[in-house]
Amino acid sequence: MNDLRYRWRMRFLSAAVIAALAGLSVRLVFLHLGPNEALRRKIVKTRRVERRLRGGRGRIFDRRGEIMALDVAVKNVCADPKLLHESGSLQAVALRLARLLEMEPAVLLARLDLPRRRFAYVKRHVPPEVGEMIRRMKLQGVFFQDDVARYYPHDQLMCHVVGFVNMERVGSAGVEQKLDRYLKGTPGLLVSERDGRRRELYDRRTVEVPASAGADVYLTLDVELQYMVEKALDEAVSENAAKGAWAIVERVRTGEILAMASRPAFNPNEFRKSDPESMRNRAIAYVYEPGSTFKLAVIAAALNEGLVTADEVIDCENGVWMYRGRPLRDYHAHGRLSVADVLKKSSNIGAAKIALRLGPERLDRYLRAFGFGRRTGVGLPGEQAGILHPPRAWSALSITRIAMGHEVAVTALQMLEMACAIANGGYLMRPYVVRRVVDWRGRELMAAEPRVVARPIREATADLMRRLMVRVTEPGGTGWRAALAGYRVAGKTGTAQKPVRGGYSRTADVASFVGFLPAEDPELGIIVVVDEPQPRHTGGAVAAPVFRKIAEQAVRYLDIRSPGGRGGGLETDT
Amino acid sequence: MYDAVRIRRYLRRMDFVSAGAMIILIVVGVLFVYSASYRSADQPVSPFYRRQIVWGLLGLGLFLWLIVSDYRGARDIAWWFYAVCMVLLVAVLITGKRVYGAYRWLNIFGLQLQPSEPAKLATIIALARYLGRPGLRVSEWRTVLTGLALVLLPAVLIIREPDLGTAAVFLPVGLVMMYVAGVPVRIIGFILLAGLLLMPLAWLELDDYQKERILVFFDPARDPLGAGWNKMQSQIAVGSGGLFGKGYLRGTQNVLGFLPRSVAPTDFIYSVIAEETGFVGSVILMGLFAALLTGCVRAALAAPDRFGRLVAVGVAMLIFSHVFVNIAMTVGLLPITGLPLPLISYGGSFMLSVMVALGLTQSIYARRRIR
Repeated sequence: MNDLRYRWRMRFLSAAVIAALAGLSVRLVFLHLGPNEALRRKIVKTRRVERRLRGGRGRIFDRRGEIMALDVAVKNVCADPKLLHESGSLQAVALRLARLLEMEPAVLLARLDLPRRRFAYVKRHVPPEVGEMIRRMKLQGVFFQDDVARYYPHDQLMCHVVGFVNMERVGSAGVEQKLDRYLKGTPGLLVSERDGRRRELYDRRTVEVPASAGADVYLTLDVELQYMVEKALDEAVSENAAKGAWAIVERVRTGEILAMASRPAFNPNEFRKSDPESMRNRAIAYVYEPGSTFKLAVIAAALNEGLVTADEVIDCENGVWMYRGRPLRDYHAHGRLSVADVLKKSSNIGAAKIALRLGPERLDRYLRAFGFGRRTGVGLPGEQAGILHPPRAWSALSITRIAMGHEVAVTALQMLEMACAIANGGYLMRPYVVRRVVDWRGRELMAAEPRVVARPIREATADLMRRLMVRVTEPGGTGWRAALAGYRVAGKTGTAQKPVRGGYSRTADVASFVGFLPAEDPELGIIVVVDEPQPRHTGGAVAAPVFRKIAEQAVRYLDIRSPGGRGGGLETDT
Repeated sequence: MYDAVRIRRYLRRMDFVSAGAMIILIVVGVLFVYSASYRSADQPVSPFYRRQIVWGLLGLGLFLWLIVSDYRGARDIAWWFYAVCMVLLVAVLITGKRVYGAYRWLNIFGLQLQPSEPAKLATIIALARYLGRPGLRVSEWRTVLTGLALVLLPAVLIIREPDLGTAAVFLPVGLVMMYVAGVPVRIIGFILLAGLLLMPLAWLELDDYQKERILVFFDPARDPLGAGWNKMQSQIAVGSGGLFGKGYLRGTQNVLGFLPRSVAPTDFIYSVIAEETGFVGSVILMGLFAALLTGCVRAALAAPDRFGRLVAVGVAMLIFSHVFVNIAMTVGLLPITGLPLPLISYGGSFMLSVMVALGLTQSIYARRRIR
């Protein structure tokens, strides 16, 4: 081989090498200096950790400091489905976990049978001791997260007022929902970077704002009283084969709700397994035609206007009165009754005639002043406003129907507010369930004050009404079963057939009793509503005894004395 | 034999530009092996860099010794050296230590040896001796096939480990040496064509992970967290370096472990350098390798005999292949293959092999005919 050819080949080779290196350099130029903003952003993005730090949620207390809701530490059991799949231990692990966690093995297996996924929840919110048991089993591909869960120590008790939080810890019912912004606290923020194994790098934290715990909420409700009320409701439901029942106990002077219960009920610790129907707080969300209890508002209005007096006698037409070509009937036939007795005997005809004296405009004004047709603003989600049509929408017959509590729809809370306004010298109070909100430093963020919403009737009218209402619970009154030894009880029964398509049901009623005591100086207002009781169906027969049962325990528990040492509910006054 | 006069004569005649580039590259290597193992100021750095210093000094000793002694000694032991390496390559398949799924290391008296590294050198020397034989008829098929056999034997043994990247280096080195030895272009073209036609067959022989790597090369989004991870992350690392880089020990891709710690000081060290020193650093590094390669070419042109010339060309090609493939893979131009960057990547066997190879070229250059 000659030297010339060799040198030529060497030159060619060198050129090739230089070309190759030059090509590489071009690539380097592009990579280094090219528009790699996207690349840079991608790096920052994969690195960046931005985590919301959750503060503990505030607790919920009853008025005496009993804890109704609090956070507890729990474990989330998690798994790596891919690893389980590849190691072939999926079946065995799923079976063992299912047994320990009381889950359906097939369900768990289906949840973990995701061969490409690296993460799946086995079960969330597992008690720490169960988590520890699983940890000791040392299952490969099973790991844990620390979490907090909401716990309601009293289970079902007060469930509708307290409410619950969903799995994302957002308040979803009751006070938990309404006061979520107080309870949840301020989440902290952590901005940091992580390494290739997704671990956070502590020395690269740029922002770290610690979370502050949520504020504690103190309710106006009393867990002991609540228990009495719920027990009475449970008995009422089973004794009367009722579809449901609800009751509210309120402090007359302030509007504080001391107890509020609804049946059916649910356990907020297991809200996901609960029937949505059972989650309805019927005391504020169930709208019904009130029936005779509504006569209170009509008669109070007429008395306040001076259109009737208590002793004025009204012809009750012996039980059937034709008005505008339609018959209006009384449950029991009466001849002539005083206005006081119209209330005591609950005459529909008498009430209709009194309403007619008021006329639609005036009646409507009074009803609205009593708070019908709008929400009370009790501070719970789901409250209904009821239905009270404006007079221009009334038919000719409407006024006689409204007088006896039909063609209007109310909530139990509205009815109770009306009764309490009578008890409270004519002042309509705003009801409330939350007394105060206190943050973790002890600062009061909110304190509820009693608030007068309206004054539909004068004091004199209210006093008169109180005396008339006491007669309802006296012998011969429809509400005699609500009478309480040693106390004067003022109240009114209500029995309303439920509206069905094209008329009223003959079999389904809403029985109710609303009242307050002691009548001379009222402290507590109570309403009891029983939905579709069988076979007895009147407010006097079904709801009044429940009222008495609640009132009896309440006065003893709250140490409410009858004015004048020991008055007698059986003494007559008027 | 090693009297002071002789030592001074040959050392004075070495290619100082090339030797200087070599020293700088070793220092850079140590610095960035340190950086690649670095996490944060309060965490201990793994001792890789210290071992790398030891290997560097050891290599330097060999390098200087080879310059002084005559490179023709290598020709005399060529066959022995080649035979020993082949035995070691067989031994590694039988008793080797398994690392990351491949048998590449041999444990000799407590030292981890990667026989494929000296095998590269042995093959270059053996092939140079065979092709450098006076009166060899380079145009004959018999000559070409014998030469090819010398190259393919170690390549096949290394494929068995399996270490595809290392095996692949043998072919360009062998072919270039034959080309320089005067083998007609048509024969070399024929061999290349045959190799190309055999490619589909080779595909069938590949392991799944190897296929995956090649597929990922063409479609990195195929498996961004698995086989595509290293490639993506190293590209991100290089790209994020910018013009001047992020600064020494500041390369976040590396420090934060996005670039897997197992490969950062070895196969992917270039991405660490590129991220931390930027385009400027990359260019300087390329310049240093260019200086090194130029030195080899100079030695080849000045070599006093065919053997020396072929050895120098082989060494140049060996270094070039490694540099090119390593950087090209780091920047995403070639599939991921585990080829280290000469003098920079952490690893004793390769460091010593390369130093010996460079010592030989310097030895050749030092014995050039002075006109």
